[in-house]
Amino acid sequence: MSEPEALLVCQRLTRHFGGLVALAGLDLQVRRGELLGLIGPNGSGKTTFFNVLTGLFPPTQGEILFAGTSLARATPQATYRAGITRTFQRSRLCLELSIFDNLAIGAHQRLDHGLAFNLLRRRALREQADATATAARDLLEIFDPPLARRLFEPMLGVAMIDRRRVEICRALMSHPRLLLLDEPSAGMTTEETTRLMDDILEVRRRFGDLTIVLIEHEMSVIERVTDRCVVLNYGKKLCEGTFAEVSADAEVRRAYLGLT
Amino acid sequence: MNGVMLGLMYALVALGFTLFFGVLDVVQFAHGDVLTAGAFVGLAAYAALLHAGVQAAVPQLIVVVLAATFSMAILGAVLGRVLVLPLKGAPALNTLLATLMGGTALRECIRLFYPGGSQPQRFPALLPTASWSMGRFNLRVDNLLMLLAGVVLVLGLSLLLRRTRLGLAIRAVAQDEETARTMGIDFRRVVLLTFAIGSALAAFAGVMNGLYYNEINFGSGLLLGVIGFSAAVLGGLGSFTGAVLGGFLFAGLQTLGAVVMPFASAYKDVFAFAVVILLMTWKPTGLIGEELGERV
Amino acid sequence: MRPAQAGARAALSAAAIAAVAALLLYGFLAAESEKTVGLVLAGAVVVVAGGLRSKVLPRLVRAAGERAVMSALAIAAVALIGVFHDDPFVLLLMARALLVLVACLGLHVQLADAGVPNFAGAAFFGVGGYTAAVLGHGATPHLLVLLASGAVAAAVGSLLLLPLLRTRGHYAALITIAFGLLFRTFLEVNETLGGPQGLKLGGLRLLGLSFNDDREIHGVEISGYAFYCLAAVALALVAVWLVRSVESSWIGVALDAVRLDETAAACFGISIGRWKIAAFTLGNAIIGVAGGLSAMMVGFIAPNNFTFQESLVLVSILLLGGLGNLAGLAVAALIVIWLPEKLQPIQEYRYLLFSVLVVLVLVLRPAGLIRRIARRPFGSLAA
Repeated sequence: MSEPEALLVCQRLTRHFGGLVALAGLDLQVRRGELLGLIGPNGSGKTTFFNVLTGLFPPTQGEILFAGTSLARATPQATYRAGITRTFQRSRLCLELSIFDNLAIGAHQRLDHGLAFNLLRRRALREQADATATAARDLLEIFDPPLARRLFEPMLGVAMIDRRRVEICRALMSHPRLLLLDEPSAGMTTEETTRLMDDILEVRRRFGDLTIVLIEHEMSVIERVTDRCVVLNYGKKLCEGTFAEVSADAEVRRAYLGLT
Repeated sequence: MNGVMLGLMYALVALGFTLFFGVLDVVQFAHGDVLTAGAFVGLAAYAALLHAGVQAAVPQLIVVVLAATFSMAILGAVLGRVLVLPLKGAPALNTLLATLMGGTALRECIRLFYPGGSQPQRFPALLPTASWSMGRFNLRVDNLLMLLAGVVLVLGLSLLLRRTRLGLAIRAVAQDEETARTMGIDFRRVVLLTFAIGSALAAFAGVMNGLYYNEINFGSGLLLGVIGFSAAVLGGLGSFTGAVLGGFLFAGLQTLGAVVMPFASAYKDVFAFAVVILLMTWKPTGLIGEELGERV
Repeated sequence: MRPAQAGARAALSAAAIAAVAALLLYGFLAAESEKTVGLVLAGAVVVVAGGLRSKVLPRLVRAAGERAVMSALAIAAVALIGVFHDDPFVLLLMARALLVLVACLGLHVQLADAGVPNFAGAAFFGVGGYTAAVLGHGATPHLLVLLASGAVAAAVGSLLLLPLLRTRGHYAALITIAFGLLFRTFLEVNETLGGPQGLKLGGLRLLGLSFNDDREIHGVEISGYAFYCLAAVALALVAVWLVRSVESSWIGVALDAVRLDETAAACFGISIGRWKIAAFTLGNAIIGVAGGLSAMMVGFIAPNNFTFQESLVLVSILLLGGLGNLAGLAVAALIVIWLPEKLQPIQEYRYLLFSVLVVLVLVLRPAGLIRRIARRPFGSLAA
């Protein structure tokens, strides 16, 4: 059997914030096409890992290889162009704008931003807008069908849970190769969480070449949807493997005192 | 001497800016106009004294300074209560705009309602005009006195902040409002008192300004305010030492500009502001500034 | 509804809006006594408030569509110019309001669209004027001179780009304030640009016609200012078209993203620097062209006109009209420029009045500063 292809390779990834060590030499690999769960106690560096990966903070040390290209010094814009998108732990949507606008932001790289195009070729612009709206509706039909009919309404009037779904759709608009989800089910009921995970799996089926890293606190979710897990503690990898393997690990149980 | 006096004046204004920023994360753009208003109140007090027949310089000086500082302390607190605190939750731009406009309103009030306000007003020389000659240097007693007074104020403020309960409360609020509140500190009282103190300092600087140039002008507050803000920014908003250093740094830049371009000393302001812009490009949060972080 | 029917309805709605506007504007401009002015104002407030409350006005605007409303208002403006064809005072007033509106449109792109504050708007207006003064005497065709006014203003603004990109919030504000002060001082001290006295301009010459000369056409006296007014209307139309087109395009989306959440925008590939630069430069260019035309109309230019105070007036107009609201912007510009002229008693108090009004708006209606989504769905698949 051939070696599963590594899409993302992080070596000795370190990030200091003044005196605080958020990532302490993290070695992590994400295989192409897998759904990797990223778990760990609060403050173990999961969100920091996403932030460093997407270029919001440069790593103090270490290397990030994405499909062979180094992204350690990349700007957030460059990581987006490379095909990595994300959602945020605290929802970051432009509430003043419409649902469509927010999704269009996600599709940024597929849209023409030239002055001549936008000012003078209005028919072509409208066609591109229509195509974007169609793509937006297709995604919303998966995650939140009622919203698909409210595409041009302001984001302000959308409920919290729906906003999280929109944020996921925004991250999918550019057909990314790697999708980073930061606690997408926060604030959702069990039922809503199940539905969300079903939708994520559905999208994964449809897109074919989509790799996902999922930060979650709900262990049942991790158990159900992930192919593999990585457990972080104090900015380092504690353990990796399937959920069954990881949850049986003594170190992990110790780190998660009280959780299992 | 010139540069030192200016530096001290700027430092007094900059301290106000840095205090307000430290305590409330706001930039009070009306601060420069508070300075001018203080000077005008002082002038009015002087006119009233003359009218009442008080001729002696010492009581005149005392009354002028007290009138200016007390009235501006109150005005500062009022501005804080009416303009700044209500806009606490709003985006920073709102407070900036509100205080900018508030300053304009204050400036216009002086121009419109003070008799002859649109013209520069003569400010009396209330300090002894003797001077000592030491070789090439000519030391004027009045400048020396003002310098001393200014230094005493700065040191006094520093002591206030470091040694008194109020100072402790101010620093606590500046560090972390939430925690300070839970510790039982009356947030609003501290904020208003800070505004009062900062504004009183500005009023003193305003009187100094008047005594030094022997004249005051309704519009001078704008430039002084921007200079004071620049000085505070250069030193790092929120830093006491930074504000003082920044004040002297700006005065130094002006002096440097006048020296470098003797053909047009008016260019000194252009020079100084240009350098400020350059310095801010290099160090966006000031030379001793804080790291601007954002929780992602 | 069939297209022909919809078209007719659009035209009628637009005509209705423009007619009412024209009537109110005529009443205001023609009013002689302060009492009449007050009455017209009161009437205008009643009409507009009533129209908004009863939803009649928004419905008319939606039925008409932006294009139709703009065209109708332009026609109304030209009609007003015709009515006041030999009244230089009123014409000058109209032109000034229009040019201030254009300058504020530039500011709007910077502040309301991209979130870049510019407290040196008057300075860039002045740059445009000085450019026109310097180039206007030479052989350069005046159309090019006007374009150059915009280009030079944009170029001068580019000096501030690096500091502006590196700083945030009040630091960025300080940069433009310092620049405004710096610019004015520089002009006053610099003798080559006329020093405190300023420079004279020769007036606009387009297509061989000198705009400064009064004309007689078919026995009708037409003041030279009428032509400046027409030019101002044309400029305003171009500026509105430009700004609205940018806003209702992908560029507008990018600018909004930069203004609202730089971090998220960056994570989706939006270059913060590129768009702030674009907005700041475009805005300054628009302000510069308005400044150039204004200087040519007035005939001279001096540093005194470009104080920080004047920059604040421009920003006030933006705020009073409601940040992001172009219709509000137009109304605010009219009020700020016309009211002090028509109500002499408040001339002296205008800065005080406007600053207090803005403070009231900011403290009492802070939500008024939140940009409401102005962008209509610009795809044809509108929901």
